Amino acid sequence: MQKLTLLFFTCIGSLTVLGQNTDSAWFVNNYSKKEIYIPMRDGVKLFTSFYIPNDRSEKHPFLITRTPYSCAPYGADKYMQIWKSYKMKYAQEHYILVIQDVRGRYMSEGIFEDVRPFNKNKKGTETDEASDTYDAIDWMLKNIDYHNGNAGVMGTSYPGFYSTQAALSGHPALKAVSPQAPVTDWFIGDDFHHNGAFFMMDGFSFYSTFGKPRPHPTQNYGAGFSTPIKDNYKFYLQTGTLKNLANLIGDSIKFWHQMYEHPNYDAWWQARNARAGLYNVKPALLWVGGLFDAEDCWGAWNCYKATKKQSPNTNNKIVMGPWSHGQWSREGSHLGNVQFESNTSAYFQQRFEAPFFQYYLKGKGSLNDMAEANIFFSGENQWRQFDHWPAPGVETKKLFISANEKLSFFPLATVKPAFYEYTSDPAKPVPYTEDVHDDRTREYMTDDQRFAYRRTDVLSFEMDELKEDLTLAGPVIANLLTSISTSDADFVVKLIDVFPDTFRYKTPPPQGEAGRGLYPMGGYQMLVRGEIMRGKFRNSFENPEPFIPNKPTLVKFELPDVAHTFKKGHKLMIQIQSTWFPLADRNPQKFMNIYKANESDFKKATIKIYNGPNATYFTLPILKKQ
Amino acid sequence: MKKITGFIAALICLQATAQTNKNFVQENFTKIDTSILMRDGIKLYTVIYVPKDTTQPYPFLMERTPYSAGPYGALSYPNAVGPNETLMKEKYIFVYQDVRGRYMSEGQSLEVTPHLTNKKNNKEVDESSDTYDAIDWLLKNIINNNGRVGLYGISYPGFYATAGLPGAHPAIKAVSPQAPVTDEFVGDDVNHNGAFFLMDNFNFMNYFGADRKGPVKNYDGSVFNFSTKDVYSFFLKLGPVKNSQSPKYFNNKSYIWNEYLQHDTYDDYWKARNIRTHLKNITIPTLVVGGWFDAEDLFGALNTYSSIENKSSQNNNRLVMGPWTHGAWESKEWKQFVYQEFGSNTSQYFQDSIETPFFNFYLKDKGNLHLAEATIFETGSNQWKNYTAWPPQNVKQVNYFLTANHALSLQKSSLKNSFDEYISDPAKPVPYTNGIYGRRFDGYMAEDQRFVATRPDVLVFESEELQDDITLAGKILADLKVSISGTDADFIVKLIDVLPDNEPQNANAPKGLPMAGYQRLVRAEVMRGKFRNSLSKPEPFVPNKITTVKFHLNDVAHTFKKGHKIMLHIQSSWFPLVDRNPQKFMRIPEAYESDFKKASIRIYHDNINDSKIVLPVLQ
Repeated sequence: MQKLTLLFFTCIGSLTVLGQNTDSAWFVNNYSKKEIYIPMRDGVKLFTSFYIPNDRSEKHPFLITRTPYSCAPYGADKYMQIWKSYKMKYAQEHYILVIQDVRGRYMSEGIFEDVRPFNKNKKGTETDEASDTYDAIDWMLKNIDYHNGNAGVMGTSYPGFYSTQAALSGHPALKAVSPQAPVTDWFIGDDFHHNGAFFMMDGFSFYSTFGKPRPHPTQNYGAGFSTPIKDNYKFYLQTGTLKNLANLIGDSIKFWHQMYEHPNYDAWWQARNARAGLYNVKPALLWVGGLFDAEDCWGAWNCYKATKKQSPNTNNKIVMGPWSHGQWSREGSHLGNVQFESNTSAYFQQRFEAPFFQYYLKGKGSLNDMAEANIFFSGENQWRQFDHWPAPGVETKKLFISANEKLSFFPLATVKPAFYEYTSDPAKPVPYTEDVHDDRTREYMTDDQRFAYRRTDVLSFEMDELKEDLTLAGPVIANLLTSISTSDADFVVKLIDVFPDTFRYKTPPPQGEAGRGLYPMGGYQMLVRGEIMRGKFRNSFENPEPFIPNKPTLVKFELPDVAHTFKKGHKLMIQIQSTWFPLADRNPQKFMNIYKANESDFKKATIKIYNGPNATYFTLPILKKQ
Repeated sequence: MKKITGFIAALICLQATAQTNKNFVQENFTKIDTSILMRDGIKLYTVIYVPKDTTQPYPFLMERTPYSAGPYGALSYPNAVGPNETLMKEKYIFVYQDVRGRYMSEGQSLEVTPHLTNKKNNKEVDESSDTYDAIDWLLKNIINNNGRVGLYGISYPGFYATAGLPGAHPAIKAVSPQAPVTDEFVGDDVNHNGAFFLMDNFNFMNYFGADRKGPVKNYDGSVFNFSTKDVYSFFLKLGPVKNSQSPKYFNNKSYIWNEYLQHDTYDDYWKARNIRTHLKNITIPTLVVGGWFDAEDLFGALNTYSSIENKSSQNNNRLVMGPWTHGAWESKEWKQFVYQEFGSNTSQYFQDSIETPFFNFYLKDKGNLHLAEATIFETGSNQWKNYTAWPPQNVKQVNYFLTANHALSLQKSSLKNSFDEYISDPAKPVPYTNGIYGRRFDGYMAEDQRFVATRPDVLVFESEELQDDITLAGKILADLKVSISGTDADFIVKLIDVLPDNEPQNANAPKGLPMAGYQRLVRAEVMRGKFRNSLSKPEPFVPNKITTVKFHLNDVAHTFKKGHKIMLHIQSSWFPLVDRNPQKFMRIPEAYESDFKKASIRIYHDNINDSKIVLPVLQ
């Protein structure tokens, strides 16, 4: 989720510089702003900004976003700069635009709770985010004029979580909800943990500001922690243990310390799994996510899947594009060095999102152009539409590691070497990206992995050059047969598209990428999907288990779904490593509660990955040619 | 040596075009294309630009080159002539000559032509005699000359300038060898301490090693077709150096490449090509020029200067060292390099205040010459300094000991049996540069080393934050106590200036690159372990036995500012700058892929085996 989201309504901008003055004047002249405290069933009042069209030629639907990032600007005469965003088109269609500070954040009363659990058996004045949404909609219907009785909710990232919760409110006026990059499960796959490994860099940079206590409603939380070292690899390595990191963030950041108190996927975390409430969902749903979203890619895929399974009668749709976090509201023709060869964001806005709300909230247009699953495939750079996801026509196939660092669909009966090995040294963790940065980059999700390929602590396995296109549609499953010299280790598996040596894009990328000039794309090792598994959770996230040193052990885990075509002439590569720093915290490589580890607990480990017909393989979801 | 010079020259021409009348040469000089007969009957193609002005006699300024004296033909004029624009406007008789066996000259070329001390007859020729014969002809045949000749040249032409010194024609009054190719086994271009500079030479010899049947204006293509966007990947896939001779590549078609692979020790072949041996009794005024960031001939500049100093007691010898890459002193503007700002236009300063006065004074008796023995640009503090000797006299050699916990300390460790260890894997060599390049990245000599500091096969030692500025002036000694599990290994030592955590951002740096904590390479060098005791007689290591590996890194003039830290990196590959060592004692040009083995490398830092670096600290 994160900082980016803060900017969402205020300065997404730069899309429409031309005509901005006329657009801003139009919005101010045609919309009235009201700021209202809406009472909830328990008496707590939530601060809400309404932008109401002056138009009285017809009745209008509500389009609501609930946010923990503030509905600023505050003041009835101060307008959000919607004209800088593609969302201006909802104003042009005269939607009643509503933004609400969620309970306990910014100007709203009450007590904030991060990813507040959904309570399906609320009694009396008990509340949750679903009931707050219900009460807010109910109030609007009774108190705002010229509405047409329909409400929609949308939001990206943390507001995506509030969108999911809104969908569970069951308010009959709520017809359509679009949770985008929805925060869904912070232990399994979103934001702060992936398979139990702590994404401390994102967590620390976010919570040092977001987690500050707010004794009273406020318009401003103040500045956060400024790291003294501008090279984040060095900062986190020098800080050392998670204990030291906790000392830096201080005692006041409640949720940070709660995470430390729950090192395993216990009842506390399970209650914060947003999928748990996705039963009998009434409004139409449009899940939206980015294939290359470093924060909540997992949430988008898995909310769709959970709804499909748990709420089969819900009108459930998904759009996944080749985007970083929230990129669908910005320029969408490339991410980092990788190009998508069309403006995928505008396509999404015009072909999917707007028709969805127009249809359900205004009864206009049709959804004929929208399938249940609308997925952009990187590599081939085109949209495909399916009746469901994973796509019909997918066959799984095992890809084995083989001799000479090769990958093959055909395992050899006897293979040499019997294993590949490397030494994982927590004092020299593998960087997640090549260059030195202060902030975590968005682009690492498609970055060139040649810098990692060249390291002695990264194993790389490669298929032969493809004779025809190979399209993957769904999750890749890693089945690692490994032995480690200690009692715990992390396993990072990276699925990579190796471009031909002669590869060039037809047009150069938009200017200004890192000031380096044209990046050499020949031989580029494009990260298609990377995922980490904290070894001790291999059998259960609730009950971690140590490894028996040097005993061959299966570590099986799923990488979030991919939609990518490895083109003819390309190669598929898989890299395996045991650190991914400072994205994920370092595993001391000793079975223990890592939040309590001391520097002296961190040890080198020898990691072996076994080779052979009954050893390591990857299950690929191959989309057959139609 | 090499192509780069042509490239920079081309740049200069462009810049000259931009600022000067592009017809300046044609309007002010008469061009003569001629062939000059050498004593053995071979003719060397020579292009002469004679000032149209005949009111005064002019001296000659001559460059002898293997890279073509063109443009050819009396009607083809270049945009600029001479070493710099000011000298062109001063007007000299500018002479360019194709050396023996190259381009339009007859004869057979030799790699870094050996100098012959006692020539017995007219059949025995070398670059000294060719220079002599050419000058003799020029003095007699070009009218309106003042009887004086200056020689200059950068890189390979720098070698030809040096080679004109022993047995010099008496008319030679001033010589400026600039980045001169000097000793290609010990420190220039081809090898550093016997380690083969694979990438540079593979690329260069593909062009330079092309064959010709007789004199040509243009060589008929390269030895083979080769292009890559990623040299690291290309050379790793190429495998052992042996494979360079496959039919796809050199295929034994370049005699120089064959010689390189044949002569893998400091044998008679290389010793004959060490021009330093012959720099005795040199009294001709010399101006040796080099660049601190010259990836090719930094060694040559420093050691040509020091050889003349040491071997010629009556010398009139000067040194200029600036913050330059190979030949960058020729460029119009040189104010910054890899995100360090020098605060002034260092190349303009060199051209106007050093090079032009030097030639004007000795060849035209024009002006006074107030040029120090050594004019040295000090990086870090960014100032020109004048010294009466190089290295300066007031330098103290200070030991910085490697210690446990990755510290670099003035105190020797008191621990027993203390070491750091890494695995050097020839299959995953340490890259010499960050990023992906299709050729050698010139900036590597000042590049941020953070990209390798994170690797398990790179050892990092760092001093405390400096309480005062420390200025180094002179060469650096690495004195390592090592043990290795194989019988050979390379040792690369890198001296690094770590910028403080409050270092401001640099406008020329890529957006978002924190300069805070930047690890700026100041000097690096490789030692091929088997040559640790003698470059002529390689010796295997006894596996796991503690062994001293001691070698010099080229001179620096650098100030580590207060608040910075001094850092060392030690690693055993530097790819593809240097070919991979199989880590097995053998003739590496004969190694097969199967000879390349992982090795475990230990660097000791205890009370007995006290690895250290000795820094020349200016008092």
